[in-house]
Amino acid sequence: MTVIRRFRQTTRAVALFGFALFASLPALAADTLNVYSIWPENWAKPMFEEFEKATGIKVNFVRFSSGEALARVIAEKNNPRVDVLFGGPVETYAAGINEGIFEPYKPPSFAALPPRFRQADGQWVAIADDPLVFMTNDKFLKENNLKAPASWNDLLAAPYKNMLQMADARTSGTAVTRIFSVLEVNGRDETKAFDYMKKLRPNVQLYTKSGGGGTLPVGLGQAGGGIFFIVDALDTKAKGYDVTISFPQEGIGTAAEGIALIKGAKNPALGKKLIDWATSPAMQNNFAKYKINFVPAHPDVVLEPSLAAVLKGAKIFPIDAEYAGANRKRIVDRWVAEVLNP
Amino acid sequence: MVMGLRNDPAVAIAVIVLWALLALFVVYPLVMLLGRVLTDHGTFTTAGLMAVLTDRHQIRAFWNSLLLAVLVGFAGTVLGFLFAFTAARERLPRELITVIDAVVLLPLVSPPFTTAIAMIFSFGPRGLITYDLLGLKGATVYGLTSTLASEVMTYFPIAYLTLRPLLAAIDSNVEGMALSLGASRWRVFRTVTLPLTVPGLANAFLLLFAASLADFATPLILAGNNFPVLPTQAFLQITGLFDLRGGAALSFVLLFPALLVFVLQRYWVSRRYYVTVTGKGAGQTPFDSISPDARAALLAICALVALVIVYFYALLLYASIVVALGANHTLTLQHYRTIFTDGLKAIRDTLIIAAFAMPLGGLYGILLGYLVTKKSFLGRRSMELVSMINYALPGTIVGIAYLIAFNDPPIELAGTALIIIACYIFRYGPTGIRATVALLQQIDKSLEEASQGLGAGSATTFRRVTLPLIMPAFFAGLGVVFIRSMTAISATIFLVSISWTLITVKILENITELSLGPAAAFSVLVVVIVFVVIAIIGRVLHRFRAPGAVSMTNLLGG
Amino acid sequence: MTESVGNRVGVRIDGVSKRFAHRVKGEVYAVREVCLDVRPGEFLTLLGPSGCGKTTTLRMIAGFETPDAGSVHFGERDMTGLPANQRDIGFVFQNYALFPHLSVFENVAYGLRVRGRTDAEIGKSVGDVLALVGLAGYEQQFSGQLSGGEQQRVALARAIVIQPSVLLFDEPLSNLDAKLRVQMRQEIHDLQRRLGITTVYVTHDQEEAMAVSDRIVVMHQGRVMQEGTAEDLYHRPSSQFVAQFVGRVNLVAGRVTEAAGDTARIAALGTMLSVRPSPAGLAPGAPVRLVVRPEAISILRTDAGPLQATVESRTFLGEKIEYVVRCAGEALQVVCYDERRGEVIPPGAAVSLRFGADAVTVLPATLAEDHRDA
Repeated sequence: MTVIRRFRQTTRAVALFGFALFASLPALAADTLNVYSIWPENWAKPMFEEFEKATGIKVNFVRFSSGEALARVIAEKNNPRVDVLFGGPVETYAAGINEGIFEPYKPPSFAALPPRFRQADGQWVAIADDPLVFMTNDKFLKENNLKAPASWNDLLAAPYKNMLQMADARTSGTAVTRIFSVLEVNGRDETKAFDYMKKLRPNVQLYTKSGGGGTLPVGLGQAGGGIFFIVDALDTKAKGYDVTISFPQEGIGTAAEGIALIKGAKNPALGKKLIDWATSPAMQNNFAKYKINFVPAHPDVVLEPSLAAVLKGAKIFPIDAEYAGANRKRIVDRWVAEVLNP
Repeated sequence: MVMGLRNDPAVAIAVIVLWALLALFVVYPLVMLLGRVLTDHGTFTTAGLMAVLTDRHQIRAFWNSLLLAVLVGFAGTVLGFLFAFTAARERLPRELITVIDAVVLLPLVSPPFTTAIAMIFSFGPRGLITYDLLGLKGATVYGLTSTLASEVMTYFPIAYLTLRPLLAAIDSNVEGMALSLGASRWRVFRTVTLPLTVPGLANAFLLLFAASLADFATPLILAGNNFPVLPTQAFLQITGLFDLRGGAALSFVLLFPALLVFVLQRYWVSRRYYVTVTGKGAGQTPFDSISPDARAALLAICALVALVIVYFYALLLYASIVVALGANHTLTLQHYRTIFTDGLKAIRDTLIIAAFAMPLGGLYGILLGYLVTKKSFLGRRSMELVSMINYALPGTIVGIAYLIAFNDPPIELAGTALIIIACYIFRYGPTGIRATVALLQQIDKSLEEASQGLGAGSATTFRRVTLPLIMPAFFAGLGVVFIRSMTAISATIFLVSISWTLITVKILENITELSLGPAAAFSVLVVVIVFVVIAIIGRVLHRFRAPGAVSMTNLLGG
Repeated sequence: MTESVGNRVGVRIDGVSKRFAHRVKGEVYAVREVCLDVRPGEFLTLLGPSGCGKTTTLRMIAGFETPDAGSVHFGERDMTGLPANQRDIGFVFQNYALFPHLSVFENVAYGLRVRGRTDAEIGKSVGDVLALVGLAGYEQQFSGQLSGGEQQRVALARAIVIQPSVLLFDEPLSNLDAKLRVQMRQEIHDLQRRLGITTVYVTHDQEEAMAVSDRIVVMHQGRVMQEGTAEDLYHRPSSQFVAQFVGRVNLVAGRVTEAAGDTARIAALGTMLSVRPSPAGLAPGAPVRLVVRPEAISILRTDAGPLQATVESRTFLGEKIEYVVRCAGEALQVVCYDERRGEVIPPGAAVSLRFGADAVTVLPATLAEDHRDA
């Protein structure tokens, strides 16, 4: 019987504690800022810690890939659970504008930024720039007597058959930027661009869920190469994997990384403070310190020398946010139908 | 509904409360899912569903799912049977059986990606096995074969745990009889042992079929682009394209095979058992029922599979203690540091959620199991049936249904821990229900009648007589809820939020973000926690040694 | 089918031993140096309490167990290493061991199918044997639908339909109720007589053993204690164990005072008793046990005679009356068949006892056995 009595006491205690737990939930939101981060935790976390150090505001965040984050914000439109969307290619933000999920806000740095790093109404503002690169496995190149690819067409070569990994456009902003890069180098001729992507399809071993998903397989040699954001590619190199980073002569797109205030945010004042800080050198000066290889968006921040060396001579063009935002869904749907599932 | 209960207010209240909970957490989400699939801005339409049903890619994904599930069911059942037969018939030393059990249990209590990650590393153009060991070039790791292999490795223990007690319970004299009538060992196996195991084999097949049908984690990592399956498609449709309706429609299609399996299991397989499994084995065959050659072959197969499992987990452990597997093999504890700092919230959240889901799930299991077995009230059978729904459906459906049902008012639970806890209780509590029912059927009715004869009401009788007797089921049920709380992802990936996240979701994120070390460290942590909890519960169950006490591991099987 | 088969063989067991690992005691002998000789067509029963090794012996004959030492022969053929499926036996288990997934017909047909008989032969044989055991018309039933007695008949039919050289029974009747048990043992006995198959039968029930067997082997602690006909065992037990196990018995302590010729004089119950024949090898002064069956004692309503006793209790059982009487301090059981209808000897009455001629068997009182059976 003692077992039963103990059991009853435990049940009662658990019930009380549980009630307290749920009742106390809303209180959590009072003095902290809630953020969906598209940047992975190992980059977002040090930034938010620096922010807390600078302002005393604690950031409560959860990480989602860009498609997931966007989906969540749209889903929660009527009852937003976060205040700020942080990181991720701005074409994701462009798609969000159509859904009316952002509150326009122009931080102090707004005027100092080049036009492509800010949405005219302040729906989003850029915090960094992130060019795409080709990343290939050194051993793979050597075994196949290949040079690092220097043209989009190099990736169509026979040795790459079933050896490339790149992101899936359904979930990854990296992939969307890549597709728009292909469109740009083909003069926005969709037929030509999709012809190329269809030709590339047999060489793609796997379309990964997230933008950086293919970097590890390329690092390990499980895949020969892929198209990634420079920040992921350099991270792979830094981890010790033997990979080569190269750029196509036709040029490759770069995606600005954005930040935006969510419409109906519970803590708009705190959110604005984060945007002020993130769009200024205050945050972007920290990239080098934490070995985050983003190109800073703010013109006053000096590009870290080793990163500058990598980028030297590369032909990089910005993705037109308006064009990308307007055509994103259609292009992705077409990609799914014609390239992913031929 | 509660007619005939007027004299028994405690039971009436319990029945009403349970029905209310079932309505809220089982029926309502499904109705909302159905509503989302079949309506558009308030008007009925099958357009959304038809869009899925006529899209050739989705049709392909559907057939792929079925193909994979059938293959997993078949291969897993065969492998599980080989293991069960070896364990039950080879007169192996006890210690060896314990080792087999522990190894076989590993995949069952691991986070869902563990075998998939190991597969990625071991096979493929530079896989440890395909390239480094066998020197194969151009091997591919994505597709049907590797998904199948990974799922079979992960789920065959279900078949093993279903079949072993069955084989052990076969009356050895029946086989002895066949032998004495002149049949060879092979003929005895073919004409007696195998036919007697058929219902168990069918059951194992259906369990594996359902498990594979529900699994979205393994295909997400391994299926690649040439072999899309439905749960993964539904997941990507929702999280990637934000097409909740399309995702709902996709998951809705999965409903049919899942329900078919459930009905088959419940109304066909269960009635065809010749052998009653009572928990205690009837002992081993009195004669050498396996020829020495067959014995050696069986042992070799089992050893090989066990070796592969051990290798997978050794690899996982290794990945968690080196800087970067494949590049920098310097030993380090940095990944553990990472998970206990950056990942601490996920660990804490998971443990808190598991800690709540566990006792509540256990309680729910014995209460419902008790009522449907021992009390008669209108709707008793339908209550049992409804309680099994979330258990029988693939997690993707349940997760999406919860997301749709509880995201907006009137019942807004999204973002709370409650939605995840409720999901666990109603999805994994049924194991406790079944354990309770099984246990109660072995407890003589006269015990309760004696209590009532002495003037105790049904509440008192339940508390003072029945409850102590079904405590084993309670602990077994809550154990299963805990383990699943630590390892499940298919439903809860849709339910995590800024306030509450889970280790499994974190693992998935880490895997897709190149942070293999932390993913491996998290997985190791989960395996360790689960093994510790199983050990503790095993001890508790041991103390409550009641007739027909069920073992934890056997419950995990079903 | 219904008449005796031609190929009768005997079963010979030579010095067979079997050890098992015991959880507490370590290695123990289940069977120790057992020798048996079953004659062709004979019905032999292994009788003994549970754990005496009788079932293990039977299973070694069947081939379910391999002896650690010794040999098993069917006729001249050495069977020792052969598995059960090469011995041509019919086995009937205590729990029947019917194939639950097969019909009655298919259960019985199993051994015939193994032997590759044609469907026509099988249909005929199965039909005949089911008729023989009284189960015609039950062909399509499953074991779950049958009563215990019916299941037992199916098990029997299944064992005999293959016309085995040897028929083996392992406590076949112990799951049946008392009345059915009596009926079935008669049927088994008659059937065996008719078929003439050499049979070894295991039971712990001495009455059952006596009812069915030509010869009985009493086993105890893995060894053979005595073998012989029912009459031999009952009237001429060679040990206290057999005396006590087979039928009811009074064991009276005594001492040899004189052993000469074919009569011995023994001091017991406060007097001197003459017994015939004189037990071999007992010198005067040796302690003995007198074995006296309860029905061999007569009660006389007189206080004269050498054996004075007092009635302690009386139980009327219909055809017989059981008394407990005290004689020289020892309680003795006495069974009287109620020939003198209605005569009542009340408790407390002083009586004198008379032992029937040849009714007393004298056994040496070995200390070990006293101790063991106390």
